[in-house]
Amino acid sequence: MTAIIIENIKTKVSTTGKLEDLLISEFESTKNSLFGNIFLREQAMKSFYGQGIPNRKQEEYKYLNIDLHLKGEYTLKNNKTLASKQIEPLRILKDAFTIVVENGVFNTDLSTLTNLPEGLTICSLSEAYKKYPQIFEKHYAQYADINTDAFIALNTAMAKDGVFIHVKKNLAIANPIHIIHISKQDQNSIINPRNLIIVDANAQAKIIESYEIIDSTAKVFNNSLTEIVVEADAIVDHYKIQDEKSFGYLLSTSQVIQKKQSVFSTHTFTLSGSLVRNNLNVILDDEGIESNLNGLYLTNETQIIDNHTLVDHRKPKCNSNELYKGIIDGKSTATFNGKIFVRKDAQKTNAFQSNKNILLSDDGTINTKPQLEIYADDVKCSHGTSTGKLDEDKIFYLRARGLSETSAKKLLMHAFASEVVDTIKINELREYIEAKITIRFE
Amino acid sequence: MANEILEEKINEEYKYGFVTDIEADNAPKGLNEDIIRFISKKKNEPEWMLENRLKALRYWLTLEEPSWAHVSYNKPNFQDIIYYSAPKPKKVLNSLDEVDPELLKTFEKLGISIEEQKRLSGVESRVAVDIIMDSVSVKTTFKEVLSEKGIIFCSFGEAVQEHPELIKKYMGTVVPFTDNYYAALNAAVFTDGSFCYIPKGVRCPMELSTYFRINSAGTGQFERTLIIADEDSYVSYLEGCTAPMRDENQLHAAVVELAAHKGAEIKYSTVQNWYPGDKNGLGGIFNFVTKRGICLGDNSKISWTQVETGSAITWKYPSVILKGDNSVGEFYSVAVTNNYQQADTGTKMMHLGKNTRSTIISKGISAGYSNNSYRGLVRIAKGASNARNFSQCDSLLMGDKCGAHTFPYIEIKDKTAIVEHEATTSKIGEDQLFYCKQRGIDNEKAIGLIVNGYCKEVLNKLPMEFAVEAQKLLAVSLEGSVG
Repeated sequence: MTAIIIENIKTKVSTTGKLEDLLISEFESTKNSLFGNIFLREQAMKSFYGQGIPNRKQEEYKYLNIDLHLKGEYTLKNNKTLASKQIEPLRILKDAFTIVVENGVFNTDLSTLTNLPEGLTICSLSEAYKKYPQIFEKHYAQYADINTDAFIALNTAMAKDGVFIHVKKNLAIANPIHIIHISKQDQNSIINPRNLIIVDANAQAKIIESYEIIDSTAKVFNNSLTEIVVEADAIVDHYKIQDEKSFGYLLSTSQVIQKKQSVFSTHTFTLSGSLVRNNLNVILDDEGIESNLNGLYLTNETQIIDNHTLVDHRKPKCNSNELYKGIIDGKSTATFNGKIFVRKDAQKTNAFQSNKNILLSDDGTINTKPQLEIYADDVKCSHGTSTGKLDEDKIFYLRARGLSETSAKKLLMHAFASEVVDTIKINELREYIEAKITIRFE
Repeated sequence: MANEILEEKINEEYKYGFVTDIEADNAPKGLNEDIIRFISKKKNEPEWMLENRLKALRYWLTLEEPSWAHVSYNKPNFQDIIYYSAPKPKKVLNSLDEVDPELLKTFEKLGISIEEQKRLSGVESRVAVDIIMDSVSVKTTFKEVLSEKGIIFCSFGEAVQEHPELIKKYMGTVVPFTDNYYAALNAAVFTDGSFCYIPKGVRCPMELSTYFRINSAGTGQFERTLIIADEDSYVSYLEGCTAPMRDENQLHAAVVELAAHKGAEIKYSTVQNWYPGDKNGLGGIFNFVTKRGICLGDNSKISWTQVETGSAITWKYPSVILKGDNSVGEFYSVAVTNNYQQADTGTKMMHLGKNTRSTIISKGISAGYSNNSYRGLVRIAKGASNARNFSQCDSLLMGDKCGAHTFPYIEIKDKTAIVEHEATTSKIGEDQLFYCKQRGIDNEKAIGLIVNGYCKEVLNKLPMEFAVEAQKLLAVSLEGSVG
């Protein structure tokens, strides 16, 4: 049935030459070689086609004309060409289990997955589909709803591969798990990386996802999607480091579901990339949950950074804290859109959100849209946002003590960023980010 | 306990829900070019006005009804509305004695006794009232006193006849008919409204006021208000509205335009109390209003204050375009929703000039099954150096079946801008209630006290005459909303 519908869509539109059409024809020719449930994939493609690539008329993409940025010719072919030494500088954590995902495909040769503790499974999604069908079926594509966002639908339809991580009950993993998404392309390409992370009850894990592009000569659009399941009493510390330079066009969705009394903290650092859009959706699906969402974005030149967060309080007695900060320079545009959604049953909710921006240049733009949507009365919810320049009085204070104007400004920017950087709990990672920020402020 | 009190509140009657038995002169239902011509002819309008109306209608026909607001309702059938309804007999009225006694009774019920106003002339706190019933201005008081100062305060229809140059110059410059769906509709079908012009250097000696009333069944009210404050002048303008109780939804789509020249100040206050529908959400007014002011000259100021307690659906965003350097925009709002009311209201502050400042204080209170949203935009354009904005939006929830939402949009393109926004949502604090009760104040009164304190920042901005009314209205609207 679905196949017929897709067939119809295909014949109907094949003459218009839109990106959607390229994707649908690519899908038709490769769908039988992809892992997982083909019926789900067809559903997703249909949904993607129905929604189309979003434009500014859609409220959720009001400040991001992603349709225009994605115009052009693309290939969906991925080659494996990386050599081990190219990866070395990206292995930022010495004692981490490192997974290399090259152009959306799990690269076993470059990953360091020896000595995994008992109870920790790390493998490719296609492998997990075969080896652990029960747990795969239970969680895969169960949280990221294909009908809520066109890019979720696209990823669900076309993901070639990705990372599967499963931490068993009561297991606390000391070493961080580092997923390096690396792209290397000489033609405009679209990649749909996908991850599924399941942390069972009372387990603990630290997971880092970094996005890098090396030795490329063409535009790389990564439509990445990570689903994270945090079971009861589990503690998950999650990091995203986005540093894709000028060829990078990244749409990065995180779909998180939290169970009773779990703690989930996520930290998003956007350091570079032509276009970065983060969709971070956290569902607090039981009582006593804590969620922390932190973000830092430093923009320059003509970059566009758009952070969208949704904190969905479904049950009573949960706490959420959100802190996003940005420094905007050049002709760049930064957008923050954060929504706190408190459902009818979620009494005794505490939800706080803060967004602060510094605008350094004449041509930069900041858009912020913090939203509260609240249907329960016994709650404490607040959001605050402020935008301004560097404080003249503070600069004066520092200069009066002998600092040059530039170093005074640098110091203040460091201080501004440190509120977010200090939330990093892995020392090595914090030092890495600090070093990156220092270079940026030079 | 809480439920009982809620019930009590829910059963409360809308006290302005009477219908005045005045014969009305109605146009046939429906909307087409003939109706527009009919209205225009009724109003004895010049050709250019008719052209404007037709242009707006043709544009409106190309539009689709917007759906982005956080409200849901059955779309009005625009062919099922009477676009012109005037109380009959309509003749030129010179003194109150000539006014239809039924009409006078209406005003008395509304609590605005024109006779009282007359008697009070000469006393300092006076209010000049323009009364608009079913879209037609029926009486403007104190016109003569005002004209001595050169102030023009009359119905829109009169202004079209007597001051066409001013109407031509300003109408549609702040809210063009292309602005939005309801602005286009209004530009096509508006029947009357108020017009006010304050000449250079004049400080208007009294509060100017318009009272709107929808009376006839099946009608829509489409009025237009245009206020022009010339250089260094000042005016404070009040607006109030009520409607009878009916099972059907009636549409109110007004346009208000304010223009403040160099050094001028306009203060516009609204107490909106349209019929909100019954406790099951049946009937009530759809209040889809476009209000916008422009600070044309340097050092000018526009201030909006609103107390919104009525209407089934409120959809309005009084805005200020801060074009002149050093100009100031203010928005103070209290929005109360109960039963099945829905409100999506807020403001837009567009900073274009240098050193412009704006303040937004919004207080939302939701009870029953209602939804109350703040939606606001602060835009700092490139070159609007040293612009400053402060916004605060607080929501108070009463009961667990209602919703309170905040949707601020902030767009900044200038590095010297300082913009702050904060919002909170909570219920009345148990400790605050406890404190009051401990001192012998009962639950009801304690809530009243706390809510009044919560809204004080806004109520203080209302002119004296309205502050009392607004405070009473709040007390009535919220009595016993929480246990």
